[in-house]
Amino acid sequence: MAVSAPAADTERAGTGDQRPRPRRSGRLRTSLAFWAFVGPFLAGLMVFTLVPVVWSAYLSLFDATNTVTPLPEDFVGFGNYADMLTDRAFQDSLITFSVFAAFIVPLTFACSLGLALMLNQLRFMRAFFRSVFFLPFACSYVVASLVWKMSIFSGVRYGLMNSILDLFGIEDVAWLFSPDPPWYWLVIVSLRLWIQCGFYMILFIAALQQIPQHLYEAAYVDGAKPGRQTFWHITLPQLRATAVAVLMLILIAAYQAFDEFVNLIGNQAYARPPLAYLYYTALGTQQDLGRGSAGALILALLIAIVTLLQGRFLGFGNKEGR
Amino acid sequence: MVAFRNHRPSQLSALALNRRRMLALGGLAAGAGALGACGGNTGRGSADGVNLSQWYHQYGEPGTQQAAEKYAAAYEDATVTINWIPGDYDTALSSGLLAEKQGDYPDVFEGHLNRAMVESGQIVPLDDILTDVLDDYTPDDLARNTIDGKVYGVRMIDDPQFLYYRPSLLDGAGITPPATFEELMAAAAELTTGDVKGLFLGNDDSATKLFQPIVFSAGQTLLTEDNQIGFDKDTVIAGALQAKELHESSSLLIGAPTEAWDPSSIIQELCAIQWCGLWALPQIIEAHGEDIAVIPFPAFGSGTPTVFNGGWDTFVNAGSEHVDEAKAFVKWLWVDNEEFILDWNLSYGFHIPPRLSMRGGAEQLADGPAAEAVRISEEFGWAENPNWTPTMETAVDDMMTHIVLEGNDPSTEFDNAVATIQGELDGIFG
Amino acid sequence: MSGMATATQVKRPAGYKPGVGTRGVRTANLVILSVLAVLFLIPFYLILRNALATDAEITAPEWMWFPSSPSWENLPNLFNDPAVPMLRSLLNSAIVAVATTVGTLFLCTTAGYGLARIPYRHADKVFYLVLATLMIPGAVTFVPSFVMVSSLGWISDFRGLIIPTLFNGFVAFLCRQYFLGFPKELEEAARVDGLGYWGSFWRIVVPNSGNFLAAIAVITFVGAWNSFLWPLVIGRSPESWTVQVALSTFLTAQTVSLSQLFMAALVAILPLVFVFLFLQRFLVQGVAQTGLKG
Repeated sequence: MAVSAPAADTERAGTGDQRPRPRRSGRLRTSLAFWAFVGPFLAGLMVFTLVPVVWSAYLSLFDATNTVTPLPEDFVGFGNYADMLTDRAFQDSLITFSVFAAFIVPLTFACSLGLALMLNQLRFMRAFFRSVFFLPFACSYVVASLVWKMSIFSGVRYGLMNSILDLFGIEDVAWLFSPDPPWYWLVIVSLRLWIQCGFYMILFIAALQQIPQHLYEAAYVDGAKPGRQTFWHITLPQLRATAVAVLMLILIAAYQAFDEFVNLIGNQAYARPPLAYLYYTALGTQQDLGRGSAGALILALLIAIVTLLQGRFLGFGNKEGR
Repeated sequence: MVAFRNHRPSQLSALALNRRRMLALGGLAAGAGALGACGGNTGRGSADGVNLSQWYHQYGEPGTQQAAEKYAAAYEDATVTINWIPGDYDTALSSGLLAEKQGDYPDVFEGHLNRAMVESGQIVPLDDILTDVLDDYTPDDLARNTIDGKVYGVRMIDDPQFLYYRPSLLDGAGITPPATFEELMAAAAELTTGDVKGLFLGNDDSATKLFQPIVFSAGQTLLTEDNQIGFDKDTVIAGALQAKELHESSSLLIGAPTEAWDPSSIIQELCAIQWCGLWALPQIIEAHGEDIAVIPFPAFGSGTPTVFNGGWDTFVNAGSEHVDEAKAFVKWLWVDNEEFILDWNLSYGFHIPPRLSMRGGAEQLADGPAAEAVRISEEFGWAENPNWTPTMETAVDDMMTHIVLEGNDPSTEFDNAVATIQGELDGIFG
Repeated sequence: MSGMATATQVKRPAGYKPGVGTRGVRTANLVILSVLAVLFLIPFYLILRNALATDAEITAPEWMWFPSSPSWENLPNLFNDPAVPMLRSLLNSAIVAVATTVGTLFLCTTAGYGLARIPYRHADKVFYLVLATLMIPGAVTFVPSFVMVSSLGWISDFRGLIIPTLFNGFVAFLCRQYFLGFPKELEEAARVDGLGYWGSFWRIVVPNSGNFLAAIAVITFVGAWNSFLWPLVIGRSPESWTVQVALSTFLTAQTVSLSQLFMAALVAILPLVFVFLFLQRFLVQGVAQTGLKG
């Protein structure tokens, strides 16, 4: 789905399939070269990611409270998995995530694409606007949470939003801590939107700049009006590959949402995503590493399934699957 | 545990550190102290070369970190290094206790006892260093550090938590300090004006926070002596519904920039009555002078008023290479050293010295609101129960969130929480 | 399209704009973008306003647009605060972020290149393994990770802060995608000149991937500078705090001083803001080549 035919060719040519099989003596050299390049990275990945994962998988089969080396008699089989799957708080956290994703994924997508399209039409000040929208990406969630919680959406009279409402004679709103109506979603979603929108905007700008001009010229010759028609028939289809990749990235990032929830709201049942719940279960004084690990693996499985399904429906992966 | 205690998982970051601090600690401090120092390395070399690592969470009051370092430096039988942990202390501590390399784990640490620490063999009993002074602690302070007849923690500070109010505002509204929960709700409504809310209980936990005070003020308890569920009573269910009513009235301050462990809200005049702890008294007096007074959490139903006595305890890590030396250090500092115990309790924010015999010397607590705080703490105080696990705490917190904030049916929610907690109890005692 | 081929070799006419609208549309765009730009800048404005105000000004019932006499002393006060080694933590963050960036770049570009271009039989399997690690929520495997780092003796140590974070599956994934699209002809020429994989990677591929490497570097740098949980647990002693951890201590202090807090936040984001302003045009070009477009 690359954007233009020549590029797709380049890419395909770069993959291994088309290449003649190396001869036997060359094969050894190839293996050595591969491991010289990939080995150090892979070794580190094994030590610092896979070992902890396998270790967690092992812990998930035990009643492992306050320990990472449970005794054999604490073996509980899949009991922790059963516990987590029937745990209402864990189920609620998955619902919280789903609501969050339902907001943040389409919104981030639409905003970043919209910004990219608008920027792309500007004749001047393009770099300025690009900088402005991209700048929030430099902020950590800790800093952003601080500004959102203590200044913009502070529930008292000197918060920015409440000061604005005050102009209209509306009473102070406790933005984060009163789930009815659920204003906290506005706080949480706007924060993430602010941080990440600019990054995906840049991805879209990059893709837009690579749409071959001749497509538009051809459309013009064919009588298509610039604007809506070219957008639906040329721009959007040409952006498809980028769009799919962006969707996947937004979704994976949303699954791992943690910092802003914890920093803004803490451990509240009404707004506690899976990762925050697992964090409190596995760490902190509870330190139930068995159930926490089981939950983490369930979550990882869900992420994998959703990612694969998305790939299947939207086509991501066809091409990079060599 | 307890309501504002810290067994609850605490938050990652400080923005949200509320509970732990509230609960417990109080605030000591934070840090600002003076010197530069960074936490490490205090103390000098010792004859036998034993190194001990002592962990504190980050107290809020200026000077506390330097005080901790001063104590460590004064100890001559070992080199004691202070680790001053900002942010989420629970997480740092629980991972630290898993470390196996000396220096990475704490030999001596402050915290709060729960049964799992004993069952997983993380801490050692300290009965032998406490034998002579057992009578010199309140029964509550002993009970909260005792599991199956053995004492595991040494009380460092007592931090009662109660309601602060501004007498001038109550007088102006023509009301008297509330003695019952109904009166508290009425007072909160009466005191609410355009810019000032009647009552502040905290942000993220203003709903859940009421649960344990109501349980105790209604004359009930979380777990009975024989470890049965004690809160599953009609009067407590009625309390949950009243908490909901209070939450829905517009007289509660919700969404303040800081949590209730921080006196900022009452200092900034965002509220007329605030739940907070004794530690904050010096700052509040600085802001409001004489115009501050304290009352216990009012009676609920046919019960009596109550005060939650928070605070911190010190433990010795069973995995330490130097358990005996660590115990000797704990005895030296938190059992025998009257000068330092008083300094820690009274020089950086106010706390009640846990040793009864030392309370007489605490002139900072001799009169005014401080004296009243000590009085109600002794008369109405309750303490957390080490058998009340974090899982149980989460169960009742979520229950309250579902009832108060989401409007779910209280009996169903109580049944769910009771089932979860009974499961825990069966797992532990069954 | 993927590939730097088009990005670097085909120069577009300067005024090129696909789907350019009418003058009216462009004006409307400008207006909308200006409004959005103001909204996007509000948080920065608030950080600056609060950092230069006094606490009383921040909490006053009347909204204050900007302190009439900025409290510049908040800045030296921050650095003189004896309880929080702010300067040291900035230095630590800089060391960690630079080392993480250099290390990640080295490890992930070589790995990405190997996965993309060396026709080893099991390359696919290795790639899927890397891909799978992206799905694992890191915050939860972090207890075993911590225990391992501790057993290596890396607590409160730069090695503990840096090394475990270098093996970044996401960056390796981006690199692989990019190298898949790197023009093969260039490498073949190198091959003819007798360079092996290693030689052509360093002599041909890397020098021709400047924008891409800059983009990856900035993404990695930002991630390292802003990371919080890992440094919090590993950086035990104040000498090893990073700036995010130091920032969090202001939040734990009793009676939060809002102005100090925001001054600390300002100091924490300024270095990155400068990095961004200087590097962002490379970013756009570099990101264009990540291969994400498909």
